[in-house]
Formats: sequence, structure tokens, C-alpha cells
Amino acid sequence: MARYLLLRLADAVPTVFLVLLLVFIAMRILPGDPAIAALGDMATTEQLQLFRERMGLNDPLWLQFINFVKGVLTLDFGTSMMSNQSVLGLILYNLPYTIELTIVAMLIGILLGVPLGVIAATNRNKAPDSGVRAFSLIGYAIPDFYLGALLLITFSLNLGWFPINGGGEGFADRMYHVFLPALTLAFVKAAFIGRLTRTSLLEVLSKDYVRTARAKGAKENRVIYGHGLRNALLPITTGLGLSTLATLSGSVAIEMVFNRPGIGKLLISAIAERDYAVIQGGIVVFAMFVVLINLMMDLVYIVVDPRIRMK
Amino acid sequence: MQINRRSFIGGMAAATAGLSLSAVMTGHAFAQGTDTIKIAFAARGLRTIDPHKSIQGVDNWAIIALYDKLVDLPRWKFPETQDDLAPRLATSWSSSADAKTWTIQLREGVQFHKGYGEMTSEDVKYTFDRATDGPRVGGVRAKFTNIASVETDGPYTVIFNLEQPDPLFLLGVLSDYDGAIMSRKAIEEIGEEEIGTNPVGTGVYMLETVHTDPSQGITLAANPDYWDTPAATAKIQCLYIADTTARTLAILSGDVHMIEGVRAPGWADSMTQRDPNLIFDVVSPGSFFTIQFNLTKAPFDDIRVRQAICYGIDRDEITGAIAPISKRTYGLNPPSFPGGFTAETIPAEVAYNYDPEKAKALLAEAGFPDGLTFRNDTSQREDFSAIMLMIQDQLRRINVDMELNIKDHTAFHADQNIGTNIISQQSSAMPPVPTQVILTYLPAEAEVKSDGNGGSNMSHYGVAIPGIDDLLAQALAEPDLDKRIAIVQEIEVQALKDAVILPVSNNGFMIVRSPKIDLGFEVESGYVNWPLSQASLV
Repeated sequence: MARYLLLRLADAVPTVFLVLLLVFIAMRILPGDPAIAALGDMATTEQLQLFRERMGLNDPLWLQFINFVKGVLTLDFGTSMMSNQSVLGLILYNLPYTIELTIVAMLIGILLGVPLGVIAATNRNKAPDSGVRAFSLIGYAIPDFYLGALLLITFSLNLGWFPINGGGEGFADRMYHVFLPALTLAFVKAAFIGRLTRTSLLEVLSKDYVRTARAKGAKENRVIYGHGLRNALLPITTGLGLSTLATLSGSVAIEMVFNRPGIGKLLISAIAERDYAVIQGGIVVFAMFVVLINLMMDLVYIVVDPRIRMK
Repeated sequence: MQINRRSFIGGMAAATAGLSLSAVMTGHAFAQGTDTIKIAFAARGLRTIDPHKSIQGVDNWAIIALYDKLVDLPRWKFPETQDDLAPRLATSWSSSADAKTWTIQLREGVQFHKGYGEMTSEDVKYTFDRATDGPRVGGVRAKFTNIASVETDGPYTVIFNLEQPDPLFLLGVLSDYDGAIMSRKAIEEIGEEEIGTNPVGTGVYMLETVHTDPSQGITLAANPDYWDTPAATAKIQCLYIADTTARTLAILSGDVHMIEGVRAPGWADSMTQRDPNLIFDVVSPGSFFTIQFNLTKAPFDDIRVRQAICYGIDRDEITGAIAPISKRTYGLNPPSFPGGFTAETIPAEVAYNYDPEKAKALLAEAGFPDGLTFRNDTSQREDFSAIMLMIQDQLRRINVDMELNIKDHTAFHADQNIGTNIISQQSSAMPPVPTQVILTYLPAEAEVKSDGNGGSNMSHYGVAIPGIDDLLAQALAEPDLDKRIAIVQEIEVQALKDAVILPVSNNGFMIVRSPKIDLGFEVESGYVNWPLSQASLV
């Protein structure tokens, strides 16, 4: 298992390096001087020069890149050009909020999506199936930032059930703050997972062993959940991996709409302010997450499907 | 531990149930503390609370709460004369006949926060020496370049020696946030950079917390040893909510008590429809929105084309659309400033009242009978884009097609500051000093440079065509305020005649306030941050 993990991690190294290079180049192509962004339009040439010197912006590009890569390897992303705070500190503060949003959204999405998919598959071409398909269509069609604003207006502003902004303090308060943003993301997830479950389960339910189970007199619940859903889990798991990555990306807009801390919001602010250090640090962490989630999904396959074994 | 399918699926279900349950159990209405006033600004987070390094206007709300100035505006408007200024750390003042030497008496017994001792003339001298020390401070330095030296005469007397006469020295230089008095001992002990997040002032509030979450901003706590009337509310929290929707919802839900308004057409109306009890505090003039024509780019090197554009822009329509924030302006200095032209006093030949037929005739005379097309940059920031989109629409009526390239705000300024734009736009707040707007936009030495190291004279006035530099030198050397104003008006008329710049509107700074907050005074005009020391929850 350890060797397998190491091999998978080694596969990710070129990907991460490419991400580092692309991020670095993109930052240098982006119009806007970080020194002016940090010190303002009225700063003198002398002040701008001192700032660039202090931040290493006067170094040759190759040297800046080497310093950047060295920093990443030692988890030293430097300091924010705007707030002077450690970038690692900013990431460590914001990251848990993004993780909790992603996890809660995925869990709600699974809890809604899987039963909906089962209902649709077991009532094929009947009213419940049509309802689930309509729900899926709506889920795909509504942009999450728009849905977020609708939910915010309805449940936070008009009904006052949920907070308008912030991430909360302490576990219970944080869960209270994350629920509505997570529900927004989960709506799209549920649509996706529901459709995926329906398709996957329909395929499994047409298999011979399911017919055999029914012929042997197994109860319908046993057939659906014990034989059908269990075997339909593998494609669903693949979909979940992709969906988790999409949720992570979707969190950027949702963190802005709900004004809650998180890596996405941190990145958006940093891009607007040309805060190179924070942008680079934030994107590296995002890239790491993509790699990590892919790795986790590989491991989950092994748990879900005993037939899959590492060679 | 071995994980199998059952334990994996079961664990996930249990975790979800736990999370959902905790969310439901804590689903209470969020409490609104009665001892804290919350105000949310349109920014992404605190930049600095150092008065000399501040580059984000909304941070100055905290600065004026943490620090005191020598003098302040009467609450809350620009005074008719300097005599109406409110004494703060200064108790009295006098100037020499040539307005080049200002002597200020200081209040005795005022203590800095955190035990940093009494405020004395040494601190005042240190403060302004620092403000004029280029490498140490930020963009405020230009404002203080007229200070030749600061001397002390005992612990409670300070003498400012100026390079050139300044009859409005108290109002123009000392009464804004960057005239806040800092503690020499604190800066030396805490550090030049660190003082930006660990401030030591004499103000009515002290810094309590800089929250790790940038959107939660900072919390200020009342100074129990304040020398003047104590703060009416125990705490103030300055939040930073850049997203317009999130900020709007925050006040509508009662989550915050005050928010920075949005300078976009129809926004104020929509807020009133939603909650008619909301109060809109607008300071005028706020930011001066001006456009400048690049004299080095054809066909804008032709005065007839520039004048045609000026006649083709309906400034009344623009200000009406962004009411109540936006107000008409006629000259470069707004009507509320000393010597500012009004609708009645602006000379007819430079009033540029909306006249599309005259605009078309001028274009035809300049060789563009069928109109013209050009590409222009603007910023995505709401005030820039809203105004420029309206101008774009108005210019179409005179057959001028201005293709707008809407850019990210930082990128827009980065490009504009190297002189790439055709019709440049600026939105800047300025003190009520008549020469300030002239100094910023018109002198040859402020010409924009292709390396980005120039100033805000985007038209190349005084370089591409003769400018107003001689007149400006005369104005700056004139100690008599009335005579100085007369020269400034002459400069404004000259620049408008040359059609190098057009003042479009003054866009006031707006704070939307819950009726639960009583400020203790009416907001009329003044700087874009006003004191909350007597603000209370009612």
C-alpha cells in the first residue's frame, strides 16, 4: 500500500511542477504593478523601488522562480505584499473553511442525490423518475452563485434562519455558518449524483445476478440495496471524485457570495490586488488538493470494490 | 484500522447526521450586540492603520478613531472659513502675515494609549518630520512637501515653517486623517512597519483586535482615559465586505449597522424600496470624477473635437442617474469649495451645457461630419463603468462611437498611468484647497510618463500645448486667499477653454445607516470619514 501511495504521489510531481510554472508565468503576464497596488498611485518612485527590492521583484525572473519553488518545497510561501502577514498563516487560516464547505456540501449532496437516484431508478419512466430528472436538469442549469444569492435572500434575509456572512467560531457555530453555502453547492451535487446513481443502478438492475436474486425470492429492498446499489457504487465513486473537485472550484464563488473565509475568497482578493505571494501560495495549495483528492479516490475504489487490487 | 464498505458508508452517514443535527440545534437567530456598532466597507481587508501609509480610504475610519488631529472639521461639514475649525490637540493657532509660519499651541495633559505618556510638541514635530520623509511613508508625502521645517518652542508650542505661503494650511494640511498625531516613543519601540497594525494614538478608541479573517476587520474599544467626551458606544467593529450583494444583505438583515454605499445607478432607490427607514449619509463633494483628453493622440489634438465631446456629454443626466451620491460640478473645484464655480458663476464659454447639435457642428468643422470611432479603457469599478457607459451612450447621439474596454481596476490604472488611454478618467477625493486639483491634473511637471513614473496630468497639458504653469506659480506664491482664489479661477477657465479636462461629477461618499444608529450630528460635507465617537445604538 505504501509503495502504491508513493508511486501515485510521484506521478503527481510533474503536474504540480507544471502548475507552479504556469502560475508563476501567469502572474508576471498579468497587467498591473504589485508595487503600485500595495503602495497606491501616489507613492513616489523611490518608495516603489524600495518595495520592489524588498519583495524581490527586481530579481531576474529565473531567480524569482527558483526562490518560489524553494519556498514551496519548504512550505515558505513568503509574506503577503498587502497585509504583511505570512502567506502560510493566511492559507492555514482559510483552508479549513474551504475544506469544511467542500465536505459538508459533498455529504449533503450524497445524502440527497443517492436516494433520489434510487427512487428514479426503481420508478423508471414514472412520475418520481420524471421529477428527479427535472430536478437534475434544474440543478445543472442554475449557476451556484445565483442559487446562493437566492438562498441567502430567502433564508438569511427574509426568514433570518441563517447568518448573512462570516465563517463562525467554534464547531457548532461554524456548522451553522457553513450549512447554507454547503446546501447551495450540494444542490448541484445532488443533481449530478442523483442522475449518476439512476443510470448506474438501472444498468446493474438489468444484470443476470439481480434477476437471479429476485427469482430466488429475495425481498425488493435486499435486491436494490444489497445487490444493486452495492455494485453500482464504483461508477458513483468515480463521479464523486470529479464532483469533489468541482465543489472545490465552486467554493470560490460561494465564498464570495456568502462572504465567508476560504481559499477561494483569499485568491480572488489576492488577484485583484496583484498579491503575487498569496496567489502563488493559494494556487499551489489548490493544485495539491486536486492531487490529494485524486489519490483519495483511488484508495476509495479499493475499499468500495474488493475486485480492484494493486498489481 | 481496517476500512470496509460498511464502515466507510456507515461512517459517512453518521458524520452527515451529526453535522446536520448540530446545524439544526444551533439554528438560533444571530444576536446583535448592543455595545458594538458594526460598519462594513467595500474592501477586501485592512491594509494599514498607519496614517502616513494609508492607501485605502476606508481604513481612515479607524485611523480617525484611534488618533487625534491638531484641528478637525466642525461636525460634519467643511467650514466657511478656517476660524470655524474645531480645536482638538491644538488649542489655538496664529500665522505670520505672509502665511508662511504657523504657530500652534497644544493641549496639555493628553495621554497616548497603552502608557506611552503625554503628547507633547516633540511628538508633533516627529509626526510631521516622518510625514515628509519619503522612504518611510506612503503617498501622503506629496501633501506635506510645502512644510520646510517643524520647530518646537517648549513642550506645548509647535512652529510650522512653510516653503510657500499657505493661507489654508490648517484646513488643507492639518485637518485630514493624515494629520493625526503619532507617538514618537511608540513608533521607535514598536517599529515602523508594526505600528500599522499596533497603533498608539490619543484617540477616543483604542485597537482591541485585528481579526484573522480579513472580512471581520478590526474591533476598537473605547479609551477609558480619553481627554474629551468619552465614546458613546463601547466598541466599533470595522468589517470589510467587498462583494456588493453580501454587503447589501448584511445591512438589510441587521447583521451590521452601517455599510458603504454603492455608486451605481438605481442602487439607492432599490435600498429605499426594500427598507424605507434606512438613512443615507452622503458627504459632498467626495471624489471628483474628471476626464482628460490625450492631446498627443489624433484627433484629440484638435480642440474642436475635444469641445464637441464636452458638449456631447450630458452631465445632468449622469448625476441624476447616480443620485443622491452624485452632484453636478461646473469648474474643477466643486461649488462647495472656496472659489468653486457654480451654475450661476461659471463663464458661459466654458460651461459646456449639453448641446448635441453644437457638438455635431464642431465635429463637422473638424472634418468628422459622420462622427468618429475610438477605443477607450475604463475600469470595472462601479463608479467608473457606470459613468463611462452613460457617456458612451450619450456620445452615440452625436455619432461618436467610443468602444469601451472595461478592465480590472488595477490593470486599468496600470495602463492609464503609462499614458495609453485616450480619454483618461480619475476619481479622487481632495481637501478644500483650491490649488490642489490644479496641482494634481494640470502642471507640466505632473505629465504622465510612459515608464509609469509621471503624475496625473494625462492630457500632456503644458507640454503638448501651452498650459497654466506660470499662473499656478503665481497662485502658490500668493498669501492672500481671495487673490489666490481669483488666480485659481483664471486657471480653471483657461484649462476648460483649452478643453483638456472636463469635470463630470462629484461622487459623494455614501454610508447607509440603520435608523438604530444616532450619529450625534448631521453629515453635510467634508472628508469621506467622519467620527463615530458619539454614535450610539438607540
